[in-house]
Amino acid sequence: MNIVRGLIGGAVGYILGAALLMTIRVATGARAWEVESVSAGAWMFALIGWLLAVGVWRYWAREWFGLELVPYTTTGWRRYLDFDTDHKVIGIQYLVKFLTMFFMAGLFAMLMRYELMDNGEALLDSGRYNAIMSLHGTMMVFVAVAATVGAFGNFVVPIMIGADDMAFPRLNALSFWLIPPVLIALTVSFVSGGYDTGWTGYAPLSVESDVGGLFFNLAFFTLGLSSIIGALNIIVTVVTMRAKGMNWMRLPIFVWSIFVTSILSLIFTQFIALAMLMVVLDRTAGMVFFDPASGGDPLLYQHIFWFYSHPAVYIMILPAFGITLEIISHFSRKPLFGYKWAVGGLLGIMGMSMFVWAHHMFTSGMAEALRKPFLASTELISIPTGMIFLSAVGTLWLGKIRLELPMLFALAVLFNFLIGGITGVFLADVPVDIQLQDTYFVVAHLHYVVLGGGIFGLFAAIYYWFPKMTGRMMNDRLGKIHFWWMMVGFNVTFLPMFIVGLQGMNRRVADYTPDLVGTNRVISMAGFFLGTSFVVFLYNFIYSWIKGAKAPANPWGARTLEWQVPSPPPHENFEVPPIILADPYGYGEPDSDHADLGIGTLPKIQETVEA
Amino acid sequence: MSRYSSKAGRPLHDVVAFRIVSGGEQESNTRNRLVVVGVAWLIATVLGWWAVTAYDWHPFGASREARITDEAFDLLMLMAVPIATFVLVVIGYSLLRDRDRGQDVDGPPIRTNRTFVVGWLAVTTILSIVVIITPGFSGLDELRAYPEPDLVIDVKGERWSWEYTYAESGVQTRGTLMVPIDTRIMFRISSTDVIHSFWIPAFRIKMDAVPGIITTTMVTAEKLGTFESADELRVQCAELCGVGHARMWTGVSVVTEAEFDAWLEASAG
Ligand SMILES: [Cu+2]
Ligand SMILES: [Cu+2]
Repeated sequence: MNIVRGLIGGAVGYILGAALLMTIRVATGARAWEVESVSAGAWMFALIGWLLAVGVWRYWAREWFGLELVPYTTTGWRRYLDFDTDHKVIGIQYLVKFLTMFFMAGLFAMLMRYELMDNGEALLDSGRYNAIMSLHGTMMVFVAVAATVGAFGNFVVPIMIGADDMAFPRLNALSFWLIPPVLIALTVSFVSGGYDTGWTGYAPLSVESDVGGLFFNLAFFTLGLSSIIGALNIIVTVVTMRAKGMNWMRLPIFVWSIFVTSILSLIFTQFIALAMLMVVLDRTAGMVFFDPASGGDPLLYQHIFWFYSHPAVYIMILPAFGITLEIISHFSRKPLFGYKWAVGGLLGIMGMSMFVWAHHMFTSGMAEALRKPFLASTELISIPTGMIFLSAVGTLWLGKIRLELPMLFALAVLFNFLIGGITGVFLADVPVDIQLQDTYFVVAHLHYVVLGGGIFGLFAAIYYWFPKMTGRMMNDRLGKIHFWWMMVGFNVTFLPMFIVGLQGMNRRVADYTPDLVGTNRVISMAGFFLGTSFVVFLYNFIYSWIKGAKAPANPWGARTLEWQVPSPPPHENFEVPPIILADPYGYGEPDSDHADLGIGTLPKIQETVEA
Repeated sequence: MSRYSSKAGRPLHDVVAFRIVSGGEQESNTRNRLVVVGVAWLIATVLGWWAVTAYDWHPFGASREARITDEAFDLLMLMAVPIATFVLVVIGYSLLRDRDRGQDVDGPPIRTNRTFVVGWLAVTTILSIVVIITPGFSGLDELRAYPEPDLVIDVKGERWSWEYTYAESGVQTRGTLMVPIDTRIMFRISSTDVIHSFWIPAFRIKMDAVPGIITTTMVTAEKLGTFESADELRVQCAELCGVGHARMWTGVSVVTEAEFDAWLEASAG
């Protein structure tokens, strides 16, 4: 099987790389085997070996050497395990992969909440707690960064712009197949004792951490590689593959959000890769970027890290904004209010996100003079963010609102992000931040943004596009149960975290002062409640995929292109390339039509005829 | 087409069936809606203000810096309430009044509204700038107001303990941090290994201890107390530094100047 082949290829790559590095080490007079130095270099060879064996060689690289390509004959569900280049297959691959990662990281959160039910150490000692906390944070960040873009950026963006696939289908497959090694690296890291630095991996702690820390660095580095390739592909796709007539001001807002997100990814991901690489070099090659005793600077790491990781917050949240506005327009049966302002808001956030990173460093010891400019730039970013809310509020007003499942999640994104955004204003205020930095107030804030905004957005997208992706409807009643269960669980879990943070509980601790036990119990109970809501989701997701009611082409009556083709869409998406006549938001406008799909290909017309 | 449903498709060319109302009727209708929303917003805001001022957000505070920080927080809270209530009331009103109740029709094709957009942009811009000026810049300036220390204490973070050295007297301790009340104190903070963070919750001060550099922060304690009287009176490491991180704390005692001098003398001897 394909994945077994890939694993063998990876192992062979690792051995070859290790042999090469050990030869070099011996030649330079060093001890041949040193697990970190050898593994760090051999990882790159292992990646190449994995990729070649998993399909790059058969379906792609052979032609570089004048050989015949192996014809792609995989069919049925096995396509999801193969090096498939159909953007729809890749979208589903991303979705399943990252949902798996999401649930694993969620289980780690449950362990943490169990430990935090009481002060003192119960189930986990500090070392284990730190390892699990770090892995939870890392995996959730990976999910938040890549799940929505990977799954829906791939599946729906090409259809929404009227294209038959991504611009570089093989590169697309390659960027997906870089994800399993990320999970492997994290597993190796966990098995070899984990790392205790949190997902932020601040130097010099991360330089000194156990070997698990190295594999964390390699995992993040590899994910970065995948993100950059994926972002490039989406940007080229949106720029060059739009259907005739799909000019920029007619793009669905979700496409805009994925496009802007991809630009952020393309520009900034290299900085996290750099930060990880520098730590790896400090660890393995005796370089001293972050070692003050040799002239290095620990603050350098934080600057490079946050130079990526602040924009990364918008990489996590902009797709959720996009899907929220998209859904609100279709389910309010009204044109997206202030479309240009919404696009402007996305672009404004993109531009300004480059100038706010040091708000994570107000207490880091950086120069005092930097505090005011970063305070100001951070507070100003609420202006473009406000434009997103402007568009949402204006669209709902006087609409004909349908509280279907995707709409419920979209409204939840607005509610949760309102809290996340406003508390962000508090944290950008330096005097307040001095007290609240590194407390549970920050933990609550970031979960409101990333989970309440980003992940609720992901679930909105899942419920919205599930019929298109699978050709089946999700069970509505179970979906609504899941929604309310998750929404209540989420808010009861994370609202009290603001309080314990204000009361002086610092983050990343397995132990805390006794006066906070009561509130922490409430948080833990609510956390378990939130965790179990996903059992309902998972059951619904799997059951509906196999046995759900057949989905029509357009169950929501939405106007964007993906709903005008059958569910699931045929391989080429459209029989003939569609011609775009107007933007997709012409609700209530007589004679408004988004697209001409070519004669005879309008599934709608057929349905109308049948009726 | 009947009522929309999850099972049925919908024609691409939607039947446009929103109710066309005469200009005058529409205007009075809009005015009514705005009045209701406005009144609801006012009520929600007043209730919100009442709630956030009635609730005590802050733990025990014992310094001049705590007053500045808590005031900034309270001011932000007062500013946040009308924004949050506005968004929630408008959305809530729409959700109550503007539902499709089986009519299966589209809403009015409103693409934008100049007054609303300009107003929204103006308000968010002004608010952002106000927040930057106060409590942002003003609070920072207040914190920096008295840069001349009466007492300097060197703080060294080391996995996983704190060491305090009173600069003039050379007295050193790894136990409770003793500070005199009403004295301008400067902490000079350093680390010998990884990054720690010197945080005293009751004082609302926090500054990282970074290997290789010396960072500073200043405080004036205004209330007497000990860790036993309030657990916010502790030095807590706030930057993850390894397994001992959570336990990297010591108590803080705020004492009178006379008591402090006596303690210093006893410790020096
Ligand atoms: Cu940030
Ligand atoms: Cu620490």
